[in-house]
Amino acid sequence: MKHLDETLSQTQADQFGRASAALLTQGAQSLPAGIKDRLHAARMKALSIRKVEKVLVQKPVFAGTMGNYSSGSNSLWDTVGWVAPLVVLVFGLIGIAQWQNDSRIIDIAEVDAALLTDDVPPDAYADSGFLAFLKNGPLSDSEDSASDLSPSK
Amino acid sequence: MASAQELSDFLSSVEKRAFKQAIYAVRDEDAALDIVQDAMIKLAEKYGDRPAAELPLVFTRILQNRIHDWFRRQKVRNTWVTLFSNMGKKTDENDDFDPLESLSAPDDSEIHQDGAQKLERSQLLLALESEIAKLPVRQREAFLMRYWDELSITETALAMSCSEGSVKTHCSRATQTLAKALKLKGITL
Repeated sequence: MKHLDETLSQTQADQFGRASAALLTQGAQSLPAGIKDRLHAARMKALSIRKVEKVLVQKPVFAGTMGNYSSGSNSLWDTVGWVAPLVVLVFGLIGIAQWQNDSRIIDIAEVDAALLTDDVPPDAYADSGFLAFLKNGPLSDSEDSASDLSPSK
Repeated sequence: MASAQELSDFLSSVEKRAFKQAIYAVRDEDAALDIVQDAMIKLAEKYGDRPAAELPLVFTRILQNRIHDWFRRQKVRNTWVTLFSNMGKKTDENDDFDPLESLSAPDDSEIHQDGAQKLERSQLLLALESEIAKLPVRQREAFLMRYWDELSITETALAMSCSEGSVKTHCSRATQTLAKALKLKGITL
């Protein structure tokens, strides 16, 4: 500052800044008593509502039956809450699969019974000889004779 | 986490400085006290669990924000006051109001006790505070944070929400302006 020309160098500026700060600090110490008191009161008020770090406190559990029951029932209901729907779903799927299986077996049995109780066994329809019998056998002749007779009528 | 004692010590160390900084900005003693109280309460209430090392920067930011909020409220209030005063009878009571006149001088009661040296100190301080109060807002903020609050350039930039280059520029201009103004008054530091 004593060698101030037009502009200060960085070092001179820093020295000036520090000297100014020291002077300002001295000045701040000589504030009127009323101001100091109000600042003190403001500080006390701020400290009274200071934020305190949250401390994890375990929930107290009573030694009696009620305490154990309440905490146990809570955990039990929590477990039941998600296990019960799962069990119902699994048994439901098994029941549906069983019912579909039974109904398919019953359908097949009905078809089999109908085929087996018929006059002609089902294998006969797959036999080429039987088809030839039907075409050229006695049934075929009777039909032919019947057809021969019908025009004469 | 800062303990209650650490927080108390910190607030005790910065309250007077914060009051001075606020009064340089708002030039109103009551408003400055309210600003400092709000800043201290906000620090304790919201950031009381921060480590002690973080408190200076956080407090500086809170204080500056409170000062800016005060100016915003004043601007809104002045707008309404101007509007209604134009509608009603105009008075010239506050037309020649100079905010610098409300800047309180340090208590002179002790000057006579310590003699000429203390008187010189007091006048020097008065001149310096007067020139600091005349600085542009950003220059004053940067100067006070850097040299009085002893924040680094990075911390000052963070508190002012600007670049480090801007902080250097503001600081440099503030220092040059103050040095020239004091030199004109024949004062050297």
